[in-house]
Amino acid sequence: MRGADYIVKRIVFALLTVFVAITINFALFRLAPGSAVTNLARVPHATPETRLAIKRQFGLDKSKWQQYWIYLGQLFRGNLGVSFANSQPVSSNLRTALINTLPMVLIGTVFAIVLGTLTGVIAAWRRGTKTEGASVTTALAFYSMPTHWLGLMLVILFAGVLPTGGMSNEFLLNPSFSTHVKDLAEHIALPSLTLGLVLYGEYTLIVRSAMLETLGEDYILTARAKGFRAGAILRRHALRNAMLPIATLIALSLGYIVAGAILVETVFSWPGIGRAVYDAVLQRDYPMLQGAFLLLTVSVVFFNLVADLLYFKLDPRITT
Amino acid sequence: MNKRWLAALVATGALIALAAFGAAARSSGSQSGGTFRIGTSSRIDSLNPYVAFNQDAYNTFEYVYPFLIQYDKSNSRFVSDFATSWKPSNGGKTWTFKTRAHAVWDDGKPLTAKDAAWTINTDLKYASGGAANAAGLVAHIKKASAPNATTLVIKYSKAPGNVLGQFQQLAILPQHVWTKFTAHKGNDLKTYSNSPLVGAGPFKLVKFKKNDIALFQRNDSFYGEKPKADGFGLRMFSNEDTLVAALKAHEIDAIESVPGTAIKTLRKSFNIRTAPGVDQTDFIINSNTKKTSHRELLNAKVKEAMSHAVDRKQIIKVVFLGYAKPASTIIPPATGAWHNPSLKPEKFDLALANKLLDQAGFKKGKGGIRVAGGRKMSYAVITPTDVPSTNRTFQILQPDFRNIGINLTQRALDSTAAFDAMTAPDNKYLKFDLALWDWVGLIDPDFMLSVVTCAQYGGWSDSGYCNQRYDKMYSQQQLTPNQAKRKQVVWKMQKYLYAQKPYIWLAAQDAVWAVSKSWGGLVPSPQGPFNSINKLSLTRVHQQ
Repeated sequence: MRGADYIVKRIVFALLTVFVAITINFALFRLAPGSAVTNLARVPHATPETRLAIKRQFGLDKSKWQQYWIYLGQLFRGNLGVSFANSQPVSSNLRTALINTLPMVLIGTVFAIVLGTLTGVIAAWRRGTKTEGASVTTALAFYSMPTHWLGLMLVILFAGVLPTGGMSNEFLLNPSFSTHVKDLAEHIALPSLTLGLVLYGEYTLIVRSAMLETLGEDYILTARAKGFRAGAILRRHALRNAMLPIATLIALSLGYIVAGAILVETVFSWPGIGRAVYDAVLQRDYPMLQGAFLLLTVSVVFFNLVADLLYFKLDPRITT
Repeated sequence: MNKRWLAALVATGALIALAAFGAAARSSGSQSGGTFRIGTSSRIDSLNPYVAFNQDAYNTFEYVYPFLIQYDKSNSRFVSDFATSWKPSNGGKTWTFKTRAHAVWDDGKPLTAKDAAWTINTDLKYASGGAANAAGLVAHIKKASAPNATTLVIKYSKAPGNVLGQFQQLAILPQHVWTKFTAHKGNDLKTYSNSPLVGAGPFKLVKFKKNDIALFQRNDSFYGEKPKADGFGLRMFSNEDTLVAALKAHEIDAIESVPGTAIKTLRKSFNIRTAPGVDQTDFIINSNTKKTSHRELLNAKVKEAMSHAVDRKQIIKVVFLGYAKPASTIIPPATGAWHNPSLKPEKFDLALANKLLDQAGFKKGKGGIRVAGGRKMSYAVITPTDVPSTNRTFQILQPDFRNIGINLTQRALDSTAAFDAMTAPDNKYLKFDLALWDWVGLIDPDFMLSVVTCAQYGGWSDSGYCNQRYDKMYSQQQLTPNQAKRKQVVWKMQKYLYAQKPYIWLAAQDAVWAVSKSWGGLVPSPQGPFNSINKLSLTRVHQQ
């Protein structure tokens, strides 16, 4: 029953975290200097009556407490509200931005996980050799590169070969399926590569460190003494036991996927959720910000919960 | 490994992962070769005229909706659009417009004067609600009516002076589409996404992806001059470097507004075109007479001294790389006759500035900084982070002001926070001293002149300036139907502000655009080739 207790506790804690985050999100954006009405009312020939009408329309004439209760009530009914900036439902704005973001960020993240794990394992296995040095140095170099700088360098390097931005060539006339897929692949290549290269270094370092620890254990020595093949030792004994910190990192990365990648999206004019959030900050679009941060909170909490439950599976000692 | 091999490797990897995604996101575009592709670092924020804020949204409305009138190609005279003629009567209190016969909306329904009357009456009815954005454009109107399909009659409570200037900005909407969205006291006007967009302009909007693309196709049933190109597209970039790279890679045919730093490199392979613009940068002095601290900034001599410490030549050379002119008044020269040419930019003369401050009695204290009212003449200059020119302008101003004994420090804030800091507390304009910003004006001077009226406190006012005499002149120009007489009032107002100095005008930026050599026919305007001044530019653009 200890396992069941553990799961229930983690789920209750996750729900509590989401509720606290909802409240903080509501307060945080309103604490920032500048108000939503400042932007909304700055239209040519706006009169004081216009400004008041706009305030009323978005409920900004009510007290903060009233706004908070209305927000909670809406959330309870599954309504994220209406964007101040374009008067469209926040859920619809978020859905569009998220659909644009997910493939690009997912490809970049998976690329980073695969490459990072591979180079991390090789670096640990070849400890003390030039291979380790090269692997760690390259990983550190990419890890420390500013994302937007790397993106711009790739744009300059591939200009004329791969598209400089956007999600697809919207000027193509009724393209065939293969032409369209090729076009999408060409457009997604550079942003995903930029993200993947910046992220992979972190994986290399974590995997290498975790692997070094397990490779020093007695059971690895025993496996070697028994004459197991190197691949089998790495896969079955070392990597499996090094999975705990790697699983944490993967879960955290996946949790943040819905946040998009604002710098990559900006460099490559990718109309994703990162840019949507950035615009919402500038416009003080409270409903949009609350919706986006709620989505991010739920995603991060969910994947952390998955990681917690995975720990339970990976290492039963955690419940004791 | 060469570029192509590396690209192929990257593309192949992404190709596999994308196969499934591709099916869902399939799309079509317009005919290649005949589509003029424009790149912009701005964006269309909304397709709804009651919601839109960005200039590119208004430019879009110009090309998809009928307007009663438009400016001619010199941007100085009103010419026909949906209205073929117009006439004031009853001392300017009644205006009658004759409109085109047999015009149709994109969906085949007839476009008549009744649509125009409905739009105006709806804007009037919901002016303090859903139609608030358009309220200023229908000021003083009592009622609009359409006695027949080609006649529009508008009755005013007072004879206004800027009727045509206002109607040049008012898009006529299809009554049969929009009439369904007037519920909840007109607030539904704002929530309608306006998709699919039913218009009647020279182009139809066929595809729109927010922050990505807007694609327009020629409307063969347009009532006016037919476009030469099959269509045009507006690709929205979030980064100016990639925008320039896209032009160089021929992914687009033109850049709407070229970043100054890219002009030199683009000049080799593309046509660079310029026109005097309506975008002016300004140094704002809090001129609220009720401000409690640093009241010396209300002193005319101090303001004059500060204006002589501004090196406009250097600002234009360094900040705008030569693509600007020294500015002197609130109405830029690009507006034509509305600009008062007798007002010249103050001479850059630090000795004169020092002399003026000495005469005003503000002696230099410790560290060479002058003292006023027992406090150092040291001020924070608010700069909005989204107007990048303000950073370098500040860097030029700071040492020159130091030389006249005024210490400036920069306070960079995003534009929303910056504006709130200037209007604080509660729109009373009591706390800030100085700021740098820019204004993008219209051809008709009414809007720019309105921003310094008392009524704009908490609205457009960014200087805290409020002066009853000025407000009287503003009302006078609004209610002077004779345009020659109105011009005299407008010139007088500029002269008055030039002396009062709520602003020191720095530079009038040129509109600069780049076009591929395979396209021609764009009509220049102070807002660039894609503008809300008239329908001419993209109607006439063609392949060479």
